[in-house]
Amino acid sequence: MAEKGILFDMDKCIACRSCQVACKQWNELPAEKTTFFAAKGGYQNPIGLSPKTYNLVKFYEEEKDGRLRWLFRVHRCFHCVDPACVKACPVEPVKAMTHHKELGIVYVNKELCIGCGACNEYCPWHIPQIDDNTEKSTKCTFCVDRVTNGLEPACAKACPTGAITFDDYDKIIQMAHQAKKRLEAKGRHPQIYGEKELGTGTHKIYVLPEPIESYPDLPKNPKVSEDLGFYRELLKPLGSLTLSAALVGMVLTKVIDMREGKHTLASKEEEVTK
Amino acid sequence: MTNHWIDIKNADCIMIIGSNAAENHPISFKWVNKAMENGAKLISIDPRFTRTSSRADIYAPLRSGTDIALMNGIINYILQNGLYHKDYLVDHTNAGFLVNPQFGFKDGLFSGYNKSQKRYDKKSWQYQLDEKGIPKIDKTLEDPNCVFQLLKKHLSRYTLEKVSNITGTPVEKIVNIAKTYGATGQKGKSGTIMYAMGTTQHTVGTQNIRTYAMLQLLLGNMGVAGGGINALRGESNVQGSTDHAILFHILPGYLKTPRSENQSLAKYLETWTPKSNDPKSANWWQHTPKYMVSLLKAFWGDRANKSNDFHYEYLPKVGANYSHISMFETMYDGTIKGLICMGQNPAVGGPNSRKERKALHKLDWLVAVDLWETETAAFWTDPEADPKSIRTEVFMLPAAGSVEKEGSITNSGRWSQWRYQAVHPPGDAKSDLWILDRLYKELKKLYAGEGGQFPGPIVDLNWDYGQGEEPDVHRVAKEINGYDLTTGKLLPSFGKLKDDGTTSSGNWLYCASYTEKGNMAARRDPTDAPNKIGLHPHWAWCWPVNRRIIYNRASCDLNGVPYAPHKPVIKWTGPETKWVGDVPDGGWPPGEKYSFIMKPEGHARLFGFGLADGPFPEHYEPLESPMKNMISPVQINPATVIWTNEMDEIGDADRFPIVATTYRVTEHWQAGQMTRNNPWLVELMPDMFVEMSKSLAKAKNIKNGDKARIITARGEITAYAVVTDRFKPFKLNGKTCEEIGLPWHYGFKGLAKGASANVLTPHVGDANTMIPEFKAFLCDVKKEVG
Repeated sequence: MAEKGILFDMDKCIACRSCQVACKQWNELPAEKTTFFAAKGGYQNPIGLSPKTYNLVKFYEEEKDGRLRWLFRVHRCFHCVDPACVKACPVEPVKAMTHHKELGIVYVNKELCIGCGACNEYCPWHIPQIDDNTEKSTKCTFCVDRVTNGLEPACAKACPTGAITFDDYDKIIQMAHQAKKRLEAKGRHPQIYGEKELGTGTHKIYVLPEPIESYPDLPKNPKVSEDLGFYRELLKPLGSLTLSAALVGMVLTKVIDMREGKHTLASKEEEVTK
Repeated sequence: MTNHWIDIKNADCIMIIGSNAAENHPISFKWVNKAMENGAKLISIDPRFTRTSSRADIYAPLRSGTDIALMNGIINYILQNGLYHKDYLVDHTNAGFLVNPQFGFKDGLFSGYNKSQKRYDKKSWQYQLDEKGIPKIDKTLEDPNCVFQLLKKHLSRYTLEKVSNITGTPVEKIVNIAKTYGATGQKGKSGTIMYAMGTTQHTVGTQNIRTYAMLQLLLGNMGVAGGGINALRGESNVQGSTDHAILFHILPGYLKTPRSENQSLAKYLETWTPKSNDPKSANWWQHTPKYMVSLLKAFWGDRANKSNDFHYEYLPKVGANYSHISMFETMYDGTIKGLICMGQNPAVGGPNSRKERKALHKLDWLVAVDLWETETAAFWTDPEADPKSIRTEVFMLPAAGSVEKEGSITNSGRWSQWRYQAVHPPGDAKSDLWILDRLYKELKKLYAGEGGQFPGPIVDLNWDYGQGEEPDVHRVAKEINGYDLTTGKLLPSFGKLKDDGTTSSGNWLYCASYTEKGNMAARRDPTDAPNKIGLHPHWAWCWPVNRRIIYNRASCDLNGVPYAPHKPVIKWTGPETKWVGDVPDGGWPPGEKYSFIMKPEGHARLFGFGLADGPFPEHYEPLESPMKNMISPVQINPATVIWTNEMDEIGDADRFPIVATTYRVTEHWQAGQMTRNNPWLVELMPDMFVEMSKSLAKAKNIKNGDKARIITARGEITAYAVVTDRFKPFKLNGKTCEEIGLPWHYGFKGLAKGASANVLTPHVGDANTMIPEFKAFLCDVKKEVG
């Protein structure tokens, strides 16, 4: 199978949230207890990603130059071409954060995951969420169980408007550029996001109908934290049998720090959303 | 829909008005997006900026209840600037027809108004006839008494400034819409209008739709690909329910319900079979006797024959208004003693629902058939109710959901699609068919054993759906299609129906849906027709006779040449090969018969004399309005019934200065029983809310997320406030007017509970249909303290 991509043409999105519900249905995720949607932009619920919510439609209401816009964005894992979360995953020799390189899919192997939170820490968007009950990392799986069986991801299947398209990565890139051109012809200022981000790009490609500034919680220049290299060096011995007790202690302390760091970052994301 | 969902992709311009299609019909945006990819423009007209508006090229706000003023203004602009399709007007509409010179309009009233009866005598709303009894036509459209000139005169009052003052829509927006949509009047272009309950649920609902139909006729947009007047139905099978006569004024297939004065079949047929002296008019309803007699044969089988008038006397005769509001008024006054409520939840969905809940208190018995225990089924647990004083006996019958039974549904595009049972219903839940079958059989036993007032209609009923535990739904579908009773074979189409008792058909419009060739609704061949406009004629089945776009003879000129050769619906290819494309609206060669075959005059009506409240749409204010009518001294629709009973209070603008409207959201469905019990949907929309402008919120000291109290003359509710730029105050003749919006899904049962918006809405309906005015009423808003 060829490398896969998924296109989010946010111009075609009507925020019906079929993708959000289909994701929960396929992944058997329970509903969250929510209250009135006080998130900025109106209808959004729940407030952010969580172990129960891998896929979330965000709403942005803005009035600019006398023109009101209500923009939508499907938020979830980008499935990076060169995923920092996989590099950061301390589990060796087989990583818990699994990179299916052929398909371009990144997913959590729950059998192996130790719930340390390094994936969240080093994800440029802090997407993976640690489930405190199971102590496992959770996130969009790109419906790897569907894709490897010849089916499209549940969100793409459910999308009624053609906003979410699953296809070979090359085709997705082509379609993104076509959509961008179409919007430019209408005098809009669209942006493709995901093709070149992080240098090597991601398998989730956005076509955003408005400039990125209209999506304040989406980093303009996402970056992998510079200390990932150092962190990886630190983790190297974890896979070896000659690990000294002292070093194990050190690594575990670091891992615990990461987990706490993760909590801070997750709440930071929520703050942005609010 | 005159067209269908897929056909939206063929439009050059799409106007969504009185509808929030993106939220309530998400699938429509598959086709709206396709049209837009091909360069179509999208116009969204709504008091509130919605998820539909977010996709639109042009968004225009209008104050709820002022659609006619806006559309009349747009049409006036189109007429003044010559944007209309003149050939189409002359060949396919009654634009050139001469009207009785007695017809007139003065001070907001058409000729023939009877003030004491609040009704029109429509005698003067007629065509001038020649010596053969055929309407006179001036094809130059210049005669001052022709429809076109009368229309121009009527609409000339709707100047841009006046319209803007009434609607609150800025003048430049009106002009922009008129120009953009008016561009579809060019030959070969088409525009579609998508509308829903935002249009219909007004005291002028029918006339609202008339304005759309007239706009479409003026631009030559009826019968063509990417055109039409497209009602987006609010439930998956509303179209099917309507076709099969869920409403009191029609029998299956839109045959008229017998009125009390139609005491014999002959009298009925004489009254309701239209006549035409024009040999070029197909006058399709001339076949009424065949359809009616075949229906009676389907109802009462062998027992119905010529000598007993096919048991016409068994049909109830309508002597009063049996619409929803009227029914609940009658229940409230204690006349109606029992109610069977199947899949309906008026305690949440009914207008003035406090009153409707109280009306349920007066019943001796209530049967509620639903998937969940609804607010209606549990009305006695309403926080306002005192169970000790209620004597109603309530029967709760659990019903099967749509995927738990087999049968057909008919979508908005008139496609009847067969569905299969996916899973068995849980517990004791049963299909509607099972419930009705058992109910009928018990009733028959009782009537057969005990006689009673009028046992005939029940005891003699033709009821033959097999001996199994579950009635045979295929037998029902076959009965609807109809049989040749001389051979016992299923009929191929309604062209074979007869008025002599040798054929039966439960619904003539569905004759051809289940034939000797099989169940047409079950077909699943996605191949498109050669004209490649997305007709997909072998996918399911569409009434009538699988015609996917109705009035399609009007897509061609009088030589059978399509106005839009690049997207032809039908095309005449000569006497040998005839019409190709869609099933034509009658197979006659072009020019031999007029194109609008359902009208006795064969032409579509710009001048529509069949309605209760006037042949041209005229703006009247909603029952509750913040403004005096600026176009005439007549404030509200003069032909509408106003109820003045207990609990029918009407609010005025002094006490209630804010306009309110109601709507649905994607995440919930109707009165909420199916979605407010689904945790995933409750997660998305957990609480009742009210949307309001920033200026109103500021004036009332309400912040986003605060609780607000909304008060009308009929009740009050609390809801979370969504303070948003998507609502803006209207400028009306120099005055500022605020509007708020409320979803109407919530109630006191289910996982997600919340106040019901319909506690606030009035008990008043449209002059023609009595559909309630849910969409425009007056309220006040306060911050909820504590």
